[in-house]
This record gives sequence, C-alpha cells and structure tokens, in this order.
Amino acid sequence: MRLAFWLYEGTALHGISRITNSMKGVHTVYHAPQGDDYITATYTMLERTPEFPALSISVVRGRDLAQGVSRLPATLQQVEHHYHPELTVIAPSCSTALLQEDLRQLAAHSGVAQEKLMVYAVNPFRVTENEAADGLFTELVKRYAANGQKSAVPAVNLLGFTSLGFHLKANLTSLRRMLSTLGVKVNVVAPWGAGIADLARLPEAWLNIAPYHEIGRTAAEYLEQEFAMPAVYDTPIGVEPTLRWLRSIIEKLNEVGAGCGASPISMPALHDFSLDGMSAPSGVPWFARTADMESFSNKKAFVFADATTTVAMVKFLRDELGMKVVGAGTYLERDADWVRRELEGYLPGELMVTDRFQDVAKVIEDELPDLVCGTQMERHSCRKLDIPCMVVSPPTHIENHLLGYYPFFGFDGADVIADRVYLSCKLGLEKHLIDFFGDAGLEYEDGDAADETGVAAAAANGHSPAGGSTEGEGGMVWTGEAETMLKKVPFFVRKKVRKNTETFAMEQGEGEVTVEVFRRAKDSLGG
Amino acid sequence: MLQVPGDGSIIKEDNVTHSFCGLACVGWMYQKIKDSFFLILGTHTCAHFLQNALGMMIFAKPRFGIALLEEGDLSKHEPSLEEIIAEIKADHNPSVIFLLSSCTPEVMKVDFKGLADHLATPEVPVLFVPASGLVYNFTQAEDSVLHALVPFCPQAPAGEKSVVFLGSVNDATADDLRAEAEELGIKVGGFLPESRFERMPAIGPDTVLAPIQPYLSRVAVKLERERGARTLHSLFPFGPDGTRAFWEDLAKMFGIEVDLSDREKAAWEKIRRQTDLLKGKQVFLTADTMMELPLARFLHSAGAEVMECSSAYINKKFHARELQALEGVRVVEQPNFHRQLEDIKRERPDMVVTSLMTANPFVGQGFIVKWSMEFMLMSIHGWSGVFTLANMFVSPFDRRSALPEFDRDVWLEGVMPSAEKVS
Repeated sequence: MRLAFWLYEGTALHGISRITNSMKGVHTVYHAPQGDDYITATYTMLERTPEFPALSISVVRGRDLAQGVSRLPATLQQVEHHYHPELTVIAPSCSTALLQEDLRQLAAHSGVAQEKLMVYAVNPFRVTENEAADGLFTELVKRYAANGQKSAVPAVNLLGFTSLGFHLKANLTSLRRMLSTLGVKVNVVAPWGAGIADLARLPEAWLNIAPYHEIGRTAAEYLEQEFAMPAVYDTPIGVEPTLRWLRSIIEKLNEVGAGCGASPISMPALHDFSLDGMSAPSGVPWFARTADMESFSNKKAFVFADATTTVAMVKFLRDELGMKVVGAGTYLERDADWVRRELEGYLPGELMVTDRFQDVAKVIEDELPDLVCGTQMERHSCRKLDIPCMVVSPPTHIENHLLGYYPFFGFDGADVIADRVYLSCKLGLEKHLIDFFGDAGLEYEDGDAADETGVAAAAANGHSPAGGSTEGEGGMVWTGEAETMLKKVPFFVRKKVRKNTETFAMEQGEGEVTVEVFRRAKDSLGG
Repeated sequence: MLQVPGDGSIIKEDNVTHSFCGLACVGWMYQKIKDSFFLILGTHTCAHFLQNALGMMIFAKPRFGIALLEEGDLSKHEPSLEEIIAEIKADHNPSVIFLLSSCTPEVMKVDFKGLADHLATPEVPVLFVPASGLVYNFTQAEDSVLHALVPFCPQAPAGEKSVVFLGSVNDATADDLRAEAEELGIKVGGFLPESRFERMPAIGPDTVLAPIQPYLSRVAVKLERERGARTLHSLFPFGPDGTRAFWEDLAKMFGIEVDLSDREKAAWEKIRRQTDLLKGKQVFLTADTMMELPLARFLHSAGAEVMECSSAYINKKFHARELQALEGVRVVEQPNFHRQLEDIKRERPDMVVTSLMTANPFVGQGFIVKWSMEFMLMSIHGWSGVFTLANMFVSPFDRRSALPEFDRDVWLEGVMPSAEKVS
C-alpha cells in the first residue's frame, strides 16, 4: 500500500482497449462496475474519434453481486445485436477479477458463437497497460495468423502501432515514406486499422518491423518462430539508427528475395528520402557540427521515458547532438534489463527505474540538468524547477495529439527532435552574452512577481534590509552583501548557483554564506 | 423496456450507460472544501481514472490521492492506512480527511466505517464516503460526502428559522444565492458544504433545506430524520422558470408570499435570442451527471422539444416537481445506451446532450452536441446564471452555423481507421 497521485502506466484494461480500439470489427466488453469504461473518454477526447469506440460495459452493480446475477450474457447479446463484431474480447476489471467468476462459461450463456468471443483475463494487480496490450496483440496474432501465399513483391508488416501511441500517426507516416522510397510495400499495419482478415494475412509479408520494445515485439517473435518470418526490432530514432534500420531492412528483404529469385533492393540516394527529393534527408548531421551548437557539448541532459524512448533519446542526444547525458530512467520495470543492456557505457550512474514521479522530480532537482526529456509529468515537475523539458514519451496527453506532422521516427523525426531540443534549451551565443554581462535585458525588476527563483527571491526582496541576512531554501543563511552579489548572477542560473554555493558552504563547515564564502565557492566551482 | 410499478411516466432500463463512477466527485469536492483531503482506498484503475478522464493534472500539492491497493494487500484482512494518513497530515495538515470507498475494497468487504473510525482523531476526523461504482454514479458521491458531514453541522436550536442550501457551488454563486434570499427576507443559515470544514452550517428543527443540486436526496432525508429539518420540494434553481419557482416556494416556507412573475418575464426577455433559436429544436439528453431533469425542464419551458430525458437515478419524491413539469416528455431512468444510439440515429434530434465519452462520436455522426459535464462547471444557478445556461445550449448551434460546410467523407478520412469499413 502506498499513496499515489499519478501513474505513468495505465491499467491492464487500458492496454487491452488500446489494442481493440485500434482494430476493425473487434469489440471489447468490460465486465466491470459503473465508471470503469472511463477509458472510452481517452479515445473520444484524445484521439477525437468521430465514431463510437467499440467498447461496451457489462455493468456489475453491488445489488447484482448480492443476488448472484450477471449481466454479461445479456450484454454480449446486445453487442451482437447492435454491432455484429467479428470478435468480442471480454475483460474483467480489477474488482471483478477478484470475484473469480468463470467468464468463459458466463459468456457461453449468451448464445453468441464461441469463435466470436475471447476472454482475456490477466491479473490486473500484476499486469499493467503495456504488458496487457502486447499480450493481447500476441494472442490475436496467434489466433488468426495463417499460412498464405507470400507476396510477389517485397512487403513488410508494421507491428505495434497502437491507439494512443506517442505521435503514432506521424511516426507511421514517416516509416511509410521511407518504405515507399525503398520501393517496399506495406502489407499490414497492426493493430492500428487492422481487421481480423488482416491479421490472417500477416505471413504474406516478407518481413516484420516491430520498432517498439513495449508492444508488437512478442508477436513478431512468434511470427519469426512459427512462420519463419525475419524481423527488424530496431527503432529508427536518430539519423544513424535510421540508416542502420534501412540497411537492415534491405539486407533481410534481399535474403528473402534471393530465395524467390527477386531482384535485390539497393539503398537509394539519400536525398530521395527528403521531403523535396533533392536535399539531405535530415538537417541533423550538419546542425550538430555548426559553431553555434558547440555549446551543446557542455549541456547536461536527463531522460525519463518508456523503454524504447529512453534508449533512443539517450543515444540521440549523446551520439548525434553531442550532449552530456547525466542520467536516465524508465518507469517500465519489466523492460529495465533491456534498457540497461542497450545503454551500457552511456550512463554515468545506474539506470533509474521507478513509477513514482516524485522520485524522478527529486533526481531532476538534484541534478539541475540543462534539458529534461520526459513525460508530461516531468514537464510538470520541470516547470516548477524552471528547467527546460521536452515531452518525448507516453502516456500521451491532449497536447501530444496535435494536427501537424511531428514524427519522432526516421529522418523527418530526427529533425523534429533536434528542433525541439534546440527550442527547449537556453541558446548558445545568446547564453554566452548573458553569462558574461549578466543581464542582457532579461532581468525582471526587483519586486516583480515574475522572478523565477520563487521563494528564495521573494524572501530576498521582501525581508532583507541592507546588511541584514536571509535564509536560502536549503536553510543556509546568506548575508545581505552575499545576497546582493547573488543577484548579479543571471536569474535563470541563480537558483543553481545558490544551491551549489550552499552545498559548498555546508561541505566547508560554514554556518552562513558571506561574500567571502561566495567568492571561494565561485573559485572552487568555476563560477 | 420495464415499466416502474405505480408510475407509467418513467421508463426504466438496464443502466448500460457511458458515465463515471462516484469518485468523479473528488474533482470538484476537494476544491470546494479547502481544508480537506480526499483519500481514495482503491487501485490503479481509480488513479488512472482521476488523472485521465477528469483531466486532473496534479498541482503542487494535490489534496487528493489514492491509497493504492497492490497485490500483496489483497490477502490482508484489513488494510493498514496509518502511515498514509500520517504522510497526508504531515504534508497537507488537513482539517478533515474523507476516506472514499471504491469497487475493489468493497468486493474485499473492507469495513470502511470501522477503518475510518479507527483512523480518526479528535483533531482530524476521518469520514467514510461511499463512492464506488458498484453503487454510485458520477455526482451521487457528493451526496455521500454531505452525508458524512452531517455530524459536523452544529445543532440549531428550535425557533431559529433559516435556510441551508444543499450542494456545492463556487463562492460567487453562493454569494448570489445568499443575497437573493436575504432580499426576500429569508434568513440564511449557510451552505452544506461551506468551503471550510469548521464552518459547516447549524441545522435544526426549524431549518429549511433548499437543495440546489438535483442529486442530493439522501442527505436531505437524513437531515429530516435526524434534525427534524424540512426540505423544499420545488424546481431546482436553473433557468427563469426554475429560479422563480424555487424562490417563491422557499419564501412560502418562511411565510412570505412573493410574486416573481415580472422577474421571470424579464429573465426570459433577456434570453429571447437564445429561446428564439431553441424553439422547436429537438433535444435528446443521454444519462450522465444527473442534472438531466432540470436541464430538460428548462429546455422544455424555453420551447424546445425534449425527445428523451434520461438520468441514472430518479427519485420520485425529490424530483417530483421536475417530473411534473416534464409531463408528456419521455423520461428514462437507467437507460440503455445502445437503444438510445439507435433511436438518435433514427430520430435525428437537433442536439444531443451527452457525456465526455460519447460527445465527439455524436459530432462525427453529424449531430450538434453539448457536453453534459460542462453544466457542472459553469455558474448556471439562479437569476445570475440564466444567461450562461441559455448560452450553453445555444453556442453549439451558433458555432455550427459559423463554420463552413463539412464533408465527412473528406475530412474524417484516416482519423479513426478502426471505424472504417472492413475492405
């Protein structure tokens, strides 16, 4: 038992509905109390679905439990009558899972043909969103994938693209653009937009592409085992990974093609991947080498995301933008080992693995990085700390469902991410000017409530007559002169300087921060 | 369709709706009672609901949280909340902690009453609030919160005649209602709830309870039974018609005869543009917040044709006047959404008032839609709320006519691949 305010991952039921809501002809029936279908609102509001998500609730009321009545058979009949789904997935919620009912038997009472029903009951106290989604998708692939004629032309399946995925449609568009440049056909995208018949013809493709570690990978592994379909599991985030991803696809398709006498695919000229067909496919390699970006070498970044994104972002920031990664973490404990392996040699310390946002906020506050790449929650935490933050990872929020084309995958995605890093961070030359002259007109007037340093500055402005002293956030007393000197430090680094100085003073056994202590701290910490 | 015995006018169905559970009340109750903390004993589902469906991002120090039941807790006889309560007290220093039940611990048969009593201290009471979706819908748990607050309302002595308004509204609306009452010569005893725990109103045998929200029948009955208070049975104070009836009937209970017909006329006059537009419009209300009866009645009075008004719970005594005013309108309790969807597609109403979960899909079907939940968040009470209320129904029409023609086949392509025809 613990006190929770906010959670990164959704429930198993949420994961299940992300798969079914992605698919054609598949309905979900929640066997759950009133309100557990709140999940429907995440689709209708975030994805702004113009049709009703195929989600129904078989309401469990306290009175039904007392009387031993189940509405499940009737609900299944209603769903069959009104919507005629090809498949209905029946899932209990956390409370009804405890009832240990035989849902298969109850479902059988509905009279709906057994082959059109599927009970997917996982332990909701152990399994959460991603595992349930990946698990259900795999089950569906196992149930429907069938041996069929291999496509005559090179064709791939894109697996793991799921409703409420992060920048889902833009990522899909980016991959489709690149595959089309290669001259490779997309056989099936699943689960997003796939029907049962599409799952059946998955094995017609030559290759599976499963770029998300969380969802789709297990199904691709199954298809590899059962149907001898090769798969590419890499994530094309960043320019170099995208190039490797393309080469890997070409290589694997050519292996399949060699078996059926198809002419091999070769890597096209890279400008063919650009939007206008005549430019570099990405601006990132040049951007990273420009003089202005030199200052990025000293910028410290912290990444906290799902497994796929944490791995990809850490590598992108360090390998392609030349930034320092001071720490990283993920909220997906079950994928932590994979992330550790992938990031070996990238992190100065241990990978942070937690689903408590407060712990993440604490680390950010201690590190005071120049950039945080995180979820909406880190953005929220960083706002309080006045640290630049860009949102790179689910859980998605209404602000991640924008209309424009902002992929993270592929060459297009590398440009989008680099732009966001650039816009989020304090800039290069401008920063030097500000650091050197200490003002650049950005300073707010004394007493202006807009001062970003919050409590400490308010204390300094309000309660510090000249020559008096104030107490910093860490409980350390600052003399009036030291406080005046601190105010000459640019406001957006003042908080960090205050903290570092206090830590220094504490280590030196000083009881208060005087001008002399502050000078020594500057000398020792490099100003 | 099942007919309720003894009342032919309410159709009762099987409650297959799209709406929230009682925990939704935390969204506004924690903001209303400013020195409170709302602790839900629940699961990952409850936490995910609050952060997603209500769009509640947590603030610097949220005054609500979930005591998260994890797998290991399921086998324990009684959950131990001491440490969590200590954490809440240290971080928030609340005057009162509301302990809300949810489905899983109810299935586990947790003795909530005993648990709350055990955790309570004389300084910080811990009050049990039944809120689980096994029993309660959306707004109904506000009734449970008020129920729990009753012992903290001082006893008003006999002979002290005053009105206590039942229902949480923002301070501006409360001030308006108070001023209106005083102008009519009605003494105001306060509001249940007030915005601070220690200021709950005194209630006694000469208190008149005036419910200003239509989902608070249980606390009214409890106060009648325990304190001998009397409840106003009138229209709820929404719209010119409801507001007039509310104040005239309330005044009558204080022995004051007033005729507010001029005021009502002036209020209708003020919203003439809106009522001109609403006249003859066919409106369908699906069940969501339990504010449907008074909203439908206002629309009916404004000249709209209410095709169906449905609500999760209808209390024939508490809602008697609203039901009477809706005579001839199809009223459904615990409706079946699948049936409603078919009716709506066939009957093509001009407007559908519906939940967050179903609003955009109805728009996608070409309907003009109003979110029912918005009525919870706007000041629509009394004379001062008339304009806002009328505009809320009119603005979707205005907006629709201001936007260009919409070709669904063109502009919805690719938005929801799962809804496209199986090829």
